[in-house]
Amino acid sequence: MLLLRVAEEELVQLYLDEKLFSMVHFYVGQEAVGVGVCSQLNPDDKVLSTHRSHGHYLAKGGDLKRMVCELLGRSNGAARGKGGSMHMIDKSVNFVGSTPLLGSAVPLAAGVAFEEKYNKKGGVAVGFMGDGASEEGVVYETYNLAALYELPLLLVIENNTWSVNSNINERRGKKYDIATIAKGFGLPYLRADGNDFNDVSTKAAELLKGIRAGGGPAVLECLVYRHMAHSTPLMDDKQGLRREDTLERRLERDSMKLMRAELVKAGSTEAEIKDLEEATRREVREAIEFAKASPYPQQEEMFTDVFYE
Amino acid sequence: MSDRILKTADAIREATDQVMAKDPSVYVIGLGVPQGAGGTTNGLKQKYPDRILDTPTSEAALTGLAVGSAIAGLHPIVHHDRVEFSLLAADQIFTQAAKWNYMFGGGGPVPIIFRIVIGRQWGNGPQHSQALYSLFGSVPGLKVVVPSSPAMAKGLLIAAARDKNPVVMLESRWLYGIKEEVSEAMYQVPLDKAQVVQQGSDITVVGYGDALYTARQALELLGEHKKRVELIDLVSINPIDHATIHASVQKTGRLLTVDTTNGAFSVGSEVISKAAQSRVGFVDAPRGLAAPDVPCPTPPSLSEFWYPTKVTIANAILEMLGLPRIDLQLPFEELHLPPTTTL
Repeated sequence: MLLLRVAEEELVQLYLDEKLFSMVHFYVGQEAVGVGVCSQLNPDDKVLSTHRSHGHYLAKGGDLKRMVCELLGRSNGAARGKGGSMHMIDKSVNFVGSTPLLGSAVPLAAGVAFEEKYNKKGGVAVGFMGDGASEEGVVYETYNLAALYELPLLLVIENNTWSVNSNINERRGKKYDIATIAKGFGLPYLRADGNDFNDVSTKAAELLKGIRAGGGPAVLECLVYRHMAHSTPLMDDKQGLRREDTLERRLERDSMKLMRAELVKAGSTEAEIKDLEEATRREVREAIEFAKASPYPQQEEMFTDVFYE
Repeated sequence: MSDRILKTADAIREATDQVMAKDPSVYVIGLGVPQGAGGTTNGLKQKYPDRILDTPTSEAALTGLAVGSAIAGLHPIVHHDRVEFSLLAADQIFTQAAKWNYMFGGGGPVPIIFRIVIGRQWGNGPQHSQALYSLFGSVPGLKVVVPSSPAMAKGLLIAAARDKNPVVMLESRWLYGIKEEVSEAMYQVPLDKAQVVQQGSDITVVGYGDALYTARQALELLGEHKKRVELIDLVSINPIDHATIHASVQKTGRLLTVDTTNGAFSVGSEVISKAAQSRVGFVDAPRGLAAPDVPCPTPPSLSEFWYPTKVTIANAILEMLGLPRIDLQLPFEELHLPPTTTL
């Protein structure tokens, strides 16, 4: 979680300095979800993600340097500089890929789960999505299809209440209830406090236990705060949008603050935590320097990889 | 008659059976495929019970699931019984499958076959018979083929099953009943090469799918002038094999394209555009024959005038050769019922 937070804090400055020419959707505030869920996965389990991909990528063990290189459009990035922030991939840790079209990764994750079952591999696929994506038709279709085929699939809805700048209250009927929807499709469903690592990981573990036992797909909804604006590393409080999830309230329930308190309770000292933070920041800055010194793709590379050879 | 004279639907079925027998990663998914899919999957559910999959009526999810499983290493054949239904899965075909390897800088193969049916037949009308060839042809990352005969359909499907990329096979249902001798062998037809069906000296006619079939019929109306026509079957519309066309037009000096869909932004327009830009030495202005730029109407009294027929194609050729037109009224059966000809 610390790596996720520090990495994006450092990347903010790169964006402001106009060094980062990729559309970015920062994960700041939502770290406990990615890390909480991935902490319950085996190395062989697969993860698919969204436009807000950095956190899931790092939580599954994706390479930091290749991520930063990708954000800076360098040829040694995760997608050799061709994808940018929204297209993270690290197959060596079974991070299958992230794709920004809302809801699009959900049936893809079902397909990855389908292959696990088809070839009797025994792994689980996880598909992350936001509350906005969870409103796409293909997601409701996938609930039914995945249930029909009894797929080993965990779908995680990170509900930060915002779809770009549209609040959940503007987007849903008054009686909309995802718990009832999941029940209607016959899917086990749990709701977690997405700011709280322990709550997320406990509930993910419970659902994963059922999935691994052959119980078919399940849905985990995590209530979180998106600290920053939709697609810039800036606060959007001044636009007057954040009437309920004010900055004050977000900081009060911030995932890193809760985690820090947990660590102290478990016996870590402030000095130890500070050392860890500094070591993490050094690691991130090293990655940024490495990326800055890395080459851009050559012009010819525009024409490669259209097809797999 | 040889027992190897197969209909297009049977040839597709045989290819599917052969690739499934050889490669356990191949499965077929689509609404109604266990029930036969127009004859193209007849009996396969009994032979491969776990690999012929019926689905909810959810095109986006079933297509996305297939794409995801291809990314994970399987080789699905997705069947959409009308091109209109495949549009409900456009994100998964155009934006996910077609971009996956590129956007991840060589992220890995997406071996998947989209078998999408163009529903040309009497009474199908505006929402069941669109022939959206150019839509698929214009998306980088897709290989798009259009079979014009049973033997070609079989060879293309087998080649697609050996390819590691998304291949769209747009199948004109109009041609499901035509027959041809088809080899039992597991042969391949290249996915990116046009075929010169007949060599000729004075005019190049380019078609694909049911347009190629009709153009072939048109040649029979030309008498002694038939041999002056070089007939080219595009086979693939993504990519288009321009080199074969340009070499032909260089020789003949005349180019006629035939599309059985709207003329605007058509494959024929693309062929003519590229030929014009390549200085192939035209002796006459190239011409594109296509359906008018209105939706395909439902009643036979109107659809009769929508599709190019063998008579309109023959007359376009005759006009370009400076010869008199022929006057021939086609019977109702030939205009509106799918052909059952043996090639």
